[in-house]
Amino acid sequence: MSALEIGLLSFPVLLALIFLRAPIGLAMLMVGLGGLWLATGSPNMALSRLKSEVYGTFANYSLSIVPIFLLMGHLAGLSGMSRALFKAAEAWLGHRKGGVAMAAVGACAGFGSICGSSLATAATMAQVALPELKRAGYSGGLSTATLAAGGTLGILIPPSVVLVVYATLAEQNIAKLFLAAFVPGILAAIGYMLVIAVYVRLYPDSAGQKPRLPYSDRFRALADVWPVLLIFVTVVGGIYTGIFNPTEGASVGALGTGLVAYFTGNLRWAQLRGALIATASGTAMMFLIVLGAAFFNGFLALSQVPQTISAWVTDQGFGPWTVLAIILLIYLVLGCVMDSLSMIFLTIPIFFPVMLSLDFGLSPEHMAIWFGILVLIAVEVGMITPPVGMNLFVINAIERETPLRQTYHAVTFFVASDILRVVVLVLFPGITLFLL
Amino acid sequence: MDRFIHRLAVTTALVGGLVLAALIVLTCLSITGRAFVFAGLGPVPGDFEMVEAGIAFAVFAFLPICQVQAGHATVDLFTNGLRPQANRTLVAFWECLFAAILIVIAWRLGAGMLGKFGNGETSMFLQFSIWWAYAACLVPCLIAALVAVWSAYDRLRAAITGRETRTISGEAQH
Repeated sequence: MSALEIGLLSFPVLLALIFLRAPIGLAMLMVGLGGLWLATGSPNMALSRLKSEVYGTFANYSLSIVPIFLLMGHLAGLSGMSRALFKAAEAWLGHRKGGVAMAAVGACAGFGSICGSSLATAATMAQVALPELKRAGYSGGLSTATLAAGGTLGILIPPSVVLVVYATLAEQNIAKLFLAAFVPGILAAIGYMLVIAVYVRLYPDSAGQKPRLPYSDRFRALADVWPVLLIFVTVVGGIYTGIFNPTEGASVGALGTGLVAYFTGNLRWAQLRGALIATASGTAMMFLIVLGAAFFNGFLALSQVPQTISAWVTDQGFGPWTVLAIILLIYLVLGCVMDSLSMIFLTIPIFFPVMLSLDFGLSPEHMAIWFGILVLIAVEVGMITPPVGMNLFVINAIERETPLRQTYHAVTFFVASDILRVVVLVLFPGITLFLL
Repeated sequence: MDRFIHRLAVTTALVGGLVLAALIVLTCLSITGRAFVFAGLGPVPGDFEMVEAGIAFAVFAFLPICQVQAGHATVDLFTNGLRPQANRTLVAFWECLFAAILIVIAWRLGAGMLGKFGNGETSMFLQFSIWWAYAACLVPCLIAALVAVWSAYDRLRAAITGRETRTISGEAQH
C-alpha cells in the first residue's frame, strides 16, 4: 500500500474509532502515529517525532491565548457582569412581546464580547436569565432554546476560541478575523431576536408581559455595564490596532475581568480555585485534540492527502459555489454529532487548500477570512442542533424541569435563522469583509 | 487510593493554573513596561519564551484533572444505544489505550529531555537550557500517566463489577 492509500484509508478508520466512543484527540493521535508507522515501515519516525513534538505543540505562543480566554470566561462568570448585562437588556427590551427572551439574547451577545466560549456563555447566562424568564411567565422550551442559541454568540462575537484555532491552522491574522466576525455576530443576535418575535406570535402562551420601565431606570441599568464595554474595547480594540498581540490582549482581558470580579467581592480563593480547575479541564480537553490533530495532520501532509484531494476537486471541474455548499453541508451534518473544535481540526487541513484552489473573485486573504467566518457559523450551528448539541445539554443540566423534547422543538427555529444567515453571508461576502 | 489520585490531580491542576495566572500577570507587566519606555521602563525581557515554556507546563499539568473528570471530547451518539455493560467495556478499553499512550509520551519526553541535555540547546533570547523546560514538563507528564493508569484500572473495575465510580462522560468545553 502506498503512503497516499494509507492516508486516504485513515479517514474511515479514524471516524470508526471516534464513533466507537474513543476520545477524539486520542483517536487522532493513534491514527496519526499508526499511519506514520505503516507509511514509513517502522515505528522509528513516530517515536522520534514524539520526543520533541509533544512539547513543541504545547509550547505554542499563538495557542497560549486559548487557556487565557477560557480563564477569562470563567472569571467573567464570577464578576457579576452577566447579571448587569441582563438587567440592562431587560430594562430596554423587557416590555416587548417576548422581550425578556430578547433581553437574554442581548445579554448573551454582551457576554460573548468578553467570553470566547459558547458553553461558558450559555451556562453563565442561564444561571441569571432562566429564573427571570420563568418569573415572567415564559415557557420552558422557549427559555432553554433561547439560552442555548444565545450561548453560541459567545463564539460568534469576538473574542472567539474557535477563530484562534482557525487562524493558526489557516495561517491567518487573528485581529482581522475578529474584526470580520463582528458584523455577522451582531446579525446573529438580531436574527435570534426576530426568531423570538415570530415564535411568541405563533405560540402566544409561551411568553408573559412586563411593564415598560421609565427611561431614567433604563439608563441607570445601562450604566452598570461599563466594565464589559471597557474590557471589550481594550481587548479587541487593542488587538486590532496592534497595541498588543492576541495573547497580550487576552492577558489584559483576563486580568481586568479578574479585578472586576475581585472588587465586586465575588472572587475569593474558593471561586478562583473553581475557575482554575474548570479552565484546566477545558484546556486539557482542547490541547489533547490539538496534539492529536498535530500528529494526524502531520501524517496526512506526509502522505500528500490534502494536495491530492484538492487536485482531484479541481480536475472534476466542480464550480466553486457547489464545493462551498458541499463543505458547509458537511459541517452541518458533522455538527449534529461532533464538537466544533474537533471538526475544525479534522477538516480545515483538507478543506482550506481546496478553497484556496477555487476562484470566488476574492483575494486569497479575503477568501480565507470569509471562509473562516462561514466555518465558524456552520460549526456553531452544531452546538444547538439536536440530538447532541452541547449547549442544549448544558442548559438541560441547569433547567431539569423542561423536557429536552420541548427544547428541541423551540431550538429548530433558531437553527433555521442560523442557516438563513449562512446563506446570506455566502451570497454577500461584503457583509463580512467591508470592515477590513 | 481513589482519594489520593483525585487530590493529586486537583493539586497538579492548581499548580498549572497558578503558573497560567502568573504568565498572565507577567504579560501584563511586560505591556506596561513597554508603554512606559519613555520613563526608563521596558518590556520584560524574553516574556515570549517564558509564556511558551510556561503554557507547555500548564497544559501537561491540566491533563490529570481532565482524565479524572472524564472531560475529554467523545462522540457518544452511536454508542448510546448499546447496553450499559457494553459502554463500560468500551470506555475501559479506550482508557487502557490512553494510559499506554501517555506512558509512551512520558518516555519520549524523557528521551527528548536527555537529547536536549546532550546537545546543550538553549532558548534564542534568554539562553536558558531547553532541557529545563522538558524536565519541568516531565513531572506533570508522569503524573498524567499515573492518573491515566489509575483511570484505566478504575474503568476496568467498573466493567467487571458493573458499577461505575464516576460518570463516563464529563462536560466538554469549548
